[in-house]
Amino acid sequence: MPKYDKMAYASAGEMIFGTAKNPVKYGRDFTVGGGQVFPELVPHPRPGTEATKKTLVKEYEKMVTDVLDRCVAIGIPGIQIELEHVYQMTKNPDWGGEIASATKHLQEEYHRKYGLKSGIRATIADYRKPDEEDIRNSVAIETSLKTFETSAAGGADVLSIESVGGKEISDYTIVRQDIRGTLFGIGVLGSRDMEYMWKKIVDIANKYGVTPGGDTNCAQANVAMFMAGGYQDRSVPHTFAALTRAIAAARSLVAYEQGAKGPSKDCGYEDVIIKSITGNPIAMEGKTCACAHSDLLGNLVAACCDLWSNEAVEYHDMFGGTTVAVFAEILGYDVALMNTAIQMGHEKVLQELMVQSDKYRDTHGFILCPENAYEIGKAIVGNNTSYYARAKAAAIKAGQLMLGDSKLQMSAFEKESLESAMRTLDSLPEKEEDFISECADIYKKLIPGFTLANYGL
Amino acid sequence: MATVANYANIFTRYDLIGAGAAKGAMVSSKDTALQKVLECVLEGDSDNIAAVVNEALATKDPMTVINDGLIRGMNEVSRLWDEGEYYLPQAIVASDAMLQGLDICEKKLGQSLEKKGTVITHTAEGDIHDLGQKIVNALLRANGYNVIDLGKDVPVDDVVAAVKKNKPVMVTGTALMTTTMTAFERISNRLLKDGFETPFVCGGGAVSLEYVTGYKLGVYGKDASQAPGMANDAVNGLGWTDMREKWNS
Repeated sequence: MPKYDKMAYASAGEMIFGTAKNPVKYGRDFTVGGGQVFPELVPHPRPGTEATKKTLVKEYEKMVTDVLDRCVAIGIPGIQIELEHVYQMTKNPDWGGEIASATKHLQEEYHRKYGLKSGIRATIADYRKPDEEDIRNSVAIETSLKTFETSAAGGADVLSIESVGGKEISDYTIVRQDIRGTLFGIGVLGSRDMEYMWKKIVDIANKYGVTPGGDTNCAQANVAMFMAGGYQDRSVPHTFAALTRAIAAARSLVAYEQGAKGPSKDCGYEDVIIKSITGNPIAMEGKTCACAHSDLLGNLVAACCDLWSNEAVEYHDMFGGTTVAVFAEILGYDVALMNTAIQMGHEKVLQELMVQSDKYRDTHGFILCPENAYEIGKAIVGNNTSYYARAKAAAIKAGQLMLGDSKLQMSAFEKESLESAMRTLDSLPEKEEDFISECADIYKKLIPGFTLANYGL
Repeated sequence: MATVANYANIFTRYDLIGAGAAKGAMVSSKDTALQKVLECVLEGDSDNIAAVVNEALATKDPMTVINDGLIRGMNEVSRLWDEGEYYLPQAIVASDAMLQGLDICEKKLGQSLEKKGTVITHTAEGDIHDLGQKIVNALLRANGYNVIDLGKDVPVDDVVAAVKKNKPVMVTGTALMTTTMTAFERISNRLLKDGFETPFVCGGGAVSLEYVTGYKLGVYGKDASQAPGMANDAVNGLGWTDMREKWNS
């Protein structure tokens, strides 16, 4: 059940990069949200190196060494490295544990030699298949939980996941522009699955004395956003993707209601809304993640970040060094600019520049600028009677904001898509049980393998 | 704080160029019953397609309803999508409605329409991200192909066995991660070893043209919407080298 009933901040104006109401400390003198932004570098192994544990561990050792060397070379004060698991690292729990251990060993060495502050996030792969198995009692979930343990024992400081509950519904509904089903898949089923998963993840984090970080709606809202794509794409309306993001905020919030402390997971674009509610530090990604995917809010999305990430960069050579070193440098200079602004008292100016760069570039940036994110946050906490109620309220608020600002231009098609979705949202039942019953009848017929039992229903 | 006077110096909204009022569909039927079928397909109205198809079948033979209603409607949807008037969701819901209608007509016919060919689709071992594959399935089915959907996280052995058993005109593989797409090359090697030269269209997420064209049989699929055109080429006898030349060079 929802727990948050008030905002962490009195206004959007209080929210700023580098500072969170509830900073977290871990790793090697590493504090996130304590007045300084740090880079979070995510290295990705080359294809083929996942063939054996030996080759994959070696690949990570090389990548992490390159990152730490570049930090020292250009004077980056601290860095978090995310071990975003490729499938093989989670499916073989000892692999994930050994790579975390190797990373910690290297970070300790650079901390000892140079005083480089550092932390490690392990993001375990969620390879459950909601339409094919009992996701609460399967080899996949048992293995994932075991890998959380080996990672924590090996040296990870922060635990995260990109959980996939409700994906069987949202995969069907996003490509059909079906807002009712998307609300059901993300807002109701995704939230319920997160409640189940995050109780277990927080227990593991507590057992090993590490920090439960956060989740991301990568499997759903990012699917909508990436499919919406750029200005030329015609896969999913951008307005629909923005509504999906607002719903995702209500869903990803569940991790913190179960005990997660942050920093949130970098690809959770909904995290600025979550920061407004929880006061927990957030990791974000924008222009620096163009190596992994494109978005239309490359500057704006940094407005309230506490970690600044690159999403994932595959390990290769470039003229300026290996990709991971190059991206560590790019991130390092980005956060240096933010930290300079903080030191000189100009952080609100820099934040405003970030926001104005992208606020009217696209609907996603528009709803995630601090003032609009804050309004969506208020809609969430003000409708906390059920996961459904708050997710629906978030979507309706996002829609109202988009329709209410004449500077946000949209094509006739985009506007009609939004208005159509708003009409559907307005027509939905008041009570969660009625909504679940309605959706169960519809989607059981349409989606083979979908079962309410996977969500405790 | 100062405000922005001119956003045009910051970004250009290329998406709004030429984005006028929708022109809409340009097909219609003088026959009232077939017009309803056309409209249901164009609007992706799965709630009413059964009723209008049954109404049309009361006075027309199934092949007329199929050709002059369902397929004609779907062809118009394809045109609207190609011209940027429809988005993917409109094409998907139209294909849902069309396939529902087709099923009713085939039952009335007492047999299935002959398919253009069989395509096997799968998502790579270790990868559960199969949305791209589902879109490919829907588009291929709407274009008259028999699709054997092997699902997600499919072992190499299972893909190879399915190809041997069903002898498709084309195989597709989807992967989000570079570390799962390596299964594609293993599939290619196994098929070649067993004497199969089936075009193997691979795409999705981090899959790149460079990678896919680095092994035999591989044809890079940049977008799901290319799948029907590629399948048509395979049916028309183009081999994997010809298809690679056409789509990847």
